[in-house]
Amino acid sequence: MEMKILERGTQFARPKITPNDFREWNRDNKPREMIDKVMDAKTAVKKFMKDGDIISISGCSFVRIPVAILHEVVRQGIKDLYVGCGTRSIDVNFLTDNGLVSHLDPGYIIGLEVLGLPKMSRKIVEQAVTKGEITLTEWDNASMAWRHKAAAMGIPFMPVRHMMGSDTFKYSGAVKVQCPFTDEEVVLVPALFTDVALIHVHESDIYGNARITSGAIVEDWGKVRGSKRVILSTEKIVDTEVIRKESDRTFVPYFYVDAVVEAPYGSHPGNMPGMYYVDIEHLIEYRKACEDTTGKALKEYYNNYVFGVDSFEEYLEKIGGKKKLKFLEDLEFLKVKPGGFS
Amino acid sequence: MSEEYNVMELMTILASRDIEDKKIIYVGTGIPMLVTSLAQKTRNLKITPIFEVGGIGPEMPTLPLSVACSRTTWRALRAADSAEAFEIAQAGFADYAFLGGAQIDKYGNLNSTVLGDYHAPKVRFPGSGGANAFASFAWKTMIIMNHEKRRFVEKTDYITSPGYLDGPGSREKVGLPPGTGPYKVYTTRGTFDFDEKTKRMRLFALNPKVTVEDVVENTGFELILPSKIKDNDPPSREELRILREEVDPYRIILGRGEA
Repeated sequence: MEMKILERGTQFARPKITPNDFREWNRDNKPREMIDKVMDAKTAVKKFMKDGDIISISGCSFVRIPVAILHEVVRQGIKDLYVGCGTRSIDVNFLTDNGLVSHLDPGYIIGLEVLGLPKMSRKIVEQAVTKGEITLTEWDNASMAWRHKAAAMGIPFMPVRHMMGSDTFKYSGAVKVQCPFTDEEVVLVPALFTDVALIHVHESDIYGNARITSGAIVEDWGKVRGSKRVILSTEKIVDTEVIRKESDRTFVPYFYVDAVVEAPYGSHPGNMPGMYYVDIEHLIEYRKACEDTTGKALKEYYNNYVFGVDSFEEYLEKIGGKKKLKFLEDLEFLKVKPGGFS
Repeated sequence: MSEEYNVMELMTILASRDIEDKKIIYVGTGIPMLVTSLAQKTRNLKITPIFEVGGIGPEMPTLPLSVACSRTTWRALRAADSAEAFEIAQAGFADYAFLGGAQIDKYGNLNSTVLGDYHAPKVRFPGSGGANAFASFAWKTMIIMNHEKRRFVEKTDYITSPGYLDGPGSREKVGLPPGTGPYKVYTTRGTFDFDEKTKRMRLFALNPKVTVEDVVENTGFELILPSKIKDNDPPSREELRILREEVDPYRIILGRGEA
């Protein structure tokens, strides 16, 4: 029996990074030695990111997102980015709002889920797509999860049993084949090997042995293990002894990781499960800035919170400092009532 | 005796009444979170909610703001990853999934991606999220939508999530797992199911104060109108109280029903 190609998505293309490219990269560029990788966000982004990179971002929507790193990407204006987007939200909006993206693989984009749809961000994407400044390859959250997983496994594709029959398939880069074992029709989704993964975690040692100590993992095993470079920001740097004592809790070992950036509250305004909750007021402030579809209010948001500060510490002062952060910690554990929904 | 309520409250309550006990339910962002949480609180069901990014069997102490937020893993049975969550569904454990959309057609095909031309969108929505996989894998897909003529259309601008595609047998023909598909649609005007033979949408029950003519007039395709149509009971005081006081006290989602 031979494997017959039955249908191709219109965005079908040869992947930019193949499994062999990835293997050879990992042979030649990833130190096997445990070396101190601690650096600040500015240095990490400068050293490990460049225009045109294929990237992925940790967490989901506004949960466990690497905001300290993303702010630095925006400040340095790293552009022409190709972004994998299984359930992305304000994190990818940071990039699209500032014209730094040339390709999206959605998943889910733009929306703030339950907290509504930021109009200006939507307008920017609609216009960029119409003008051809952003190209799209359509996927869904399951195919994105499996594309990251396939990359982590070092294989070229994953056979899956959804997408068929939909326009999600039609505008994707998937192919449908006849299964050589069962004769059933299956969809093959290509592995998404990335240049850089931007990942935020709870704990890491100085070498990049990292832990996610609470909350859903989202697609992050695949994102880390399927990326040529990994910039890891962490709430806290811990001793390697902490890792060794409970190795079953390690999220990824050091050799995947290229930079370790200490970034307390590094997911703000997002949630960091087990530490601090969503800053609802701040997200609503962002959404309200997006109500102004001239783009002026949104520019002010970035001038104030990103371009107007030199570091993430300075940003944390701006959003309300220790008092606000303590409130978000209490909110995570239901000790206080949330506010600022409207 | 019932009191005043808005359409969001009504749809949430009607859908939550239909949740079957002892089942695994995939919960997407927004109204599905309300529906599941309400069912847990009003009827004390032993259901297992699963969130697509990894939360399995959480207690949801407050309404989650995201499918990943810490409420979706609060005292959960497991915090997994997205691949695992979708693999559980692909392997046949997803009894129910709840979806919404901007457009639906007579076969229950849903659009949550784009209005107008895909390459020059009139409106770009967030896209599939977990919807396409839910609609492909769940044994029964429940849909919740505002019922307007521009949303209930002959042909959707885009099929994000497959319903019965072109009719009987077409899901199986394209290779989707057999025995799956849209089960019920809850709208601002009534409840709908799908005719076993034609797979076309059929009026099942009318919401309070809504007439058949009302429904037909606001539907852009030909509905199947059976001889017997049920009437949905209005929300009870207790359902409204729990929904307002315990499920969404800040009216984050319920407030949208006031527009």
